[in-house]
Amino acid sequence: MTAVDEVRTRAAGLRTASEHRLARFILAVGTIVVLVLVFRLFTNFGVFPVSWDIELADPIDRARRWLINNQTSHWLYTVFLNPITDVIDWGIRRLESILKWFPWFSYPLFTGLGLWWTRGRIAGALGLASVALIGVVDLWAESFATLALMSVSVLISVVIGIPLGIAAWRNESVARVVRPTLDAMQTMPGFVYLIPFVLLFGFGRVPALISTVIFALAPVVRLTEVGLRTVPQVTVEASEMFGATERQTLRLVRLPQARPAIFAGMNQTTMLAMSMVVIAAFIGAGGLGQVVLRSMQNIDVGRASEAGIAIVIMAIVLDRFSTGIVTADPGRDARAMRWLASVVSVVAVIGGLLGQNEFPESLNWQFAPYVNDATDWARDNLYDIANSGIGTGPFSDFVTLEFVTPLRELLSADIPWPAMIGIGMALGLWARGIRLAIGIGAALFAIGFLGMWALSMDTLAQTLVGVVITLALGVPVGIMTSHNDLLRAALKPVLDFFQTIPSFVLLVPVITLFHVGRIPGIIASVIYAFPAAVHYTDLGLRRVPAEIHEAAESFGATRSQRLRRVEMPLAAPELMVAVNQVIMLILAMVVIAGLVGGGGLGLEAVRGLRRSDAVGRGFEAGIAIVLLASILDRLTRAIADRLRPPAAV
Amino acid sequence: MDTASQTAQVSVEGVWKVFGRKAREARAMAKEGASREQIQTATGSVVAVRDITFEVAPGETFVVMGLSGSGKSTLIRCVSHLVEPTEGRVEVCGTELTRADGATLRDLRRQKMAMVFQHFGLFPHRKVVDNVAYGLEVQGVERQERHGRARELLDTVGLEGWGDHYPQQLSGGMQQRVGLARALAVDPEVLFFDEPFSALDPLIRRDMQDELIDLQLKLQRTLVFITHDFAEALKLADRIAIMNDGTFVQVGTPVEILTSPADDYVRAFTQDAPVAKVLQACTLMRPLDGASIDPGWPLVSMTTPLEAALPHLLGSTSPVVVCDEQHAPVGLLRGEDVAGVLSENRG
Repeated sequence: MTAVDEVRTRAAGLRTASEHRLARFILAVGTIVVLVLVFRLFTNFGVFPVSWDIELADPIDRARRWLINNQTSHWLYTVFLNPITDVIDWGIRRLESILKWFPWFSYPLFTGLGLWWTRGRIAGALGLASVALIGVVDLWAESFATLALMSVSVLISVVIGIPLGIAAWRNESVARVVRPTLDAMQTMPGFVYLIPFVLLFGFGRVPALISTVIFALAPVVRLTEVGLRTVPQVTVEASEMFGATERQTLRLVRLPQARPAIFAGMNQTTMLAMSMVVIAAFIGAGGLGQVVLRSMQNIDVGRASEAGIAIVIMAIVLDRFSTGIVTADPGRDARAMRWLASVVSVVAVIGGLLGQNEFPESLNWQFAPYVNDATDWARDNLYDIANSGIGTGPFSDFVTLEFVTPLRELLSADIPWPAMIGIGMALGLWARGIRLAIGIGAALFAIGFLGMWALSMDTLAQTLVGVVITLALGVPVGIMTSHNDLLRAALKPVLDFFQTIPSFVLLVPVITLFHVGRIPGIIASVIYAFPAAVHYTDLGLRRVPAEIHEAAESFGATRSQRLRRVEMPLAAPELMVAVNQVIMLILAMVVIAGLVGGGGLGLEAVRGLRRSDAVGRGFEAGIAIVLLASILDRLTRAIADRLRPPAAV
Repeated sequence: MDTASQTAQVSVEGVWKVFGRKAREARAMAKEGASREQIQTATGSVVAVRDITFEVAPGETFVVMGLSGSGKSTLIRCVSHLVEPTEGRVEVCGTELTRADGATLRDLRRQKMAMVFQHFGLFPHRKVVDNVAYGLEVQGVERQERHGRARELLDTVGLEGWGDHYPQQLSGGMQQRVGLARALAVDPEVLFFDEPFSALDPLIRRDMQDELIDLQLKLQRTLVFITHDFAEALKLADRIAIMNDGTFVQVGTPVEILTSPADDYVRAFTQDAPVAKVLQACTLMRPLDGASIDPGWPLVSMTTPLEAALPHLLGSTSPVVVCDEQHAPVGLLRGEDVAGVLSENRG
């Protein structure tokens, strides 16, 4: 075959591939239209039939009752679960009492020193002041509860995670099981992990800890594996050539070089654990999350803000500290720091022996009343400014009535359920193929059989509105930052800040302005997901190679032509990853917002956690959330893959 | 065991390396003379090294020269056993690596072999001194002792005072000195060099080559050296193997390669080679055979490069007298012979 022939054949292959793709797309859209029309015109299908509900809730409630009745007698508890509970509980309590033994002033001082060491003097001073603030607003004991629970969770995650990461790196068949499992574990809104463990262990810190470990485990495992995998082969060869054993090479060459990655994994694990420990207040984990939860129920926004700020302080201190460890360079402060550290340690021990462990009451000062005043003022003055129809209230109503409710009606009632399933399957077929289509169909049917159809469509509608708003705001900002390094540098700390805040806490400021209902949840979710939208857009556009920019420019393309014709299409897969991340974050937040009247699956799950007679329904809602999350995740990932340019022929 | 393999420090016999699943079919095709591309399209396997045999004597510098993709890197990895050969025998210091178990191989590497890598292969997380001491650390040598030895070697390669820096704080040339010191620290009998200087810029490369030659004069180790630079091969080698498509095209001393290239592939390299620098007077001289010598004729030693003899030859029509180490005349170098070689090599 001559070269020209070969090129012709390849070109023909490409042409058929793209024709094939177009045909599939037309087929998919056609199917959707036909399905909707057929069902609308000839049938009276609406919501998924109630009579098909398999009522999974009943056996679960029965199981729950059985578990409660046998908690003291059955071997499952006496031999297996209770000892686990006792050991974990003992560990947390023990750590908490150790933490409480040290004098109150040692915490701000050690935080200050730690941040000074990792981040410099200013960070040290800020750390000292902000940790002291937690004591000032009288949240000392609650912080210890949160810190203890989180520390034990992180410790267990690391103890399990690093060896698991090593095993996955060493053994491909372990990796094949571990990787997708972790992906799935991280995809789920953390909230849903609480449900099965509450069912098994009841309320308390143990189910909180177990669900936290599961939620937070993924990053440390994955980054340990990635870190080991990316160790340069030549350094491993060098080590082998000196006659090092496998174990020596691992200990002396591989692990030290993987250390930055492992630390990054531990940092992410810590942040996920922090966010989960707060959410675990729903199942009686106590601590700062409990204060936020209780205050929000009592509409004491002031107190909720104090606890929220304490959580944010803890999260940011931990984040700054743990990301700084790898690069820590004390420079010329090193001596002063060592000296101070020894002084503080000695004073801390003496203080502990003298029993200076309570934060002195004389230093207490609460800003909750002011926040409450401000909230009242906001309700009186911003909710509907001078009865003019302008304000947060009318805004909420407008968005609810014009977007959320119509979309919910469209999804749950106007589009008949079989058509909905058909649309899902058609999208799956277009994006990847028949297997994804069948998977989506099965998941949607399962949601129907669980009796969660209407609630799921409600949650889906909220999620979609949130996604559209987030992308409408985030993608343009990402485009701007990708062309402007200064803007990017300026925005980075702000976005980092919002990403560090545990999701649950974001609800606090939002309900001050918007009260309860679906809108605060959507707004909080937009704030929550906005950084991801900006980040991935920016990342995608920055990956477009410079010579492609130059090539486009040399043809005389204008800036907007370049963006539309060259950069966006090339960045399309990355943008789809942005969409994927945004969807998952928003879904997680919308679910948690069930707490503030967000409705949908979240509300059902929250209710299941709160009332023992609703556990079954809560469980069903949890499964529905998992199914919905999986569908959205797989579908958006498949579309992202679709958009990637074909690999070299 | 025959006598040759007893005296040779590195002995390689019929080594094959095939990457991919269908190693056997690929090898069968290769034996019938199929090219690498043909084999790859047919079997999906890559024959990187095909049936290579050579021996390196103690103290010899053996250079394998080939372009990228010729299989030279795989070959040195087969010899140092970083890569398991598909077939064949490799023997280093009297131990057959291809049959050795893990512990034997480890011991051999700890005691007898060391390697210097193309991209240095330094450990970025260890200070320079700890990089150099690595081989000793692996052997279980105490910290103080191994650091003492490491600092000694840093002095030898001209890096005194740099021990407490990290490798990435050093320039490329300095990093490769660290790589060299690290290899020498374990006092190996055989040193493998995998394109050690190709990542360096030309002036630094020349310095490093000169230093390696000096070191080798002092240490007299057995060196197996991989390069893609023909001039480097000529400069360093006692013997050169030219490698192409997984096999040796020609093995010989630099002079043999330059004066009688085996085929056009080798000839292509010799065309741009600095012949006048590499060839020495003794190579082209004609034996005296009792001819009379005019006392006015200029004298050169046997190891004088042609370059240095050229001015004498260009100045007059008379030949140059070549003398041995005792300054006794042994041969005559004639202008027409030199011109013949030079013009031949200019194609």
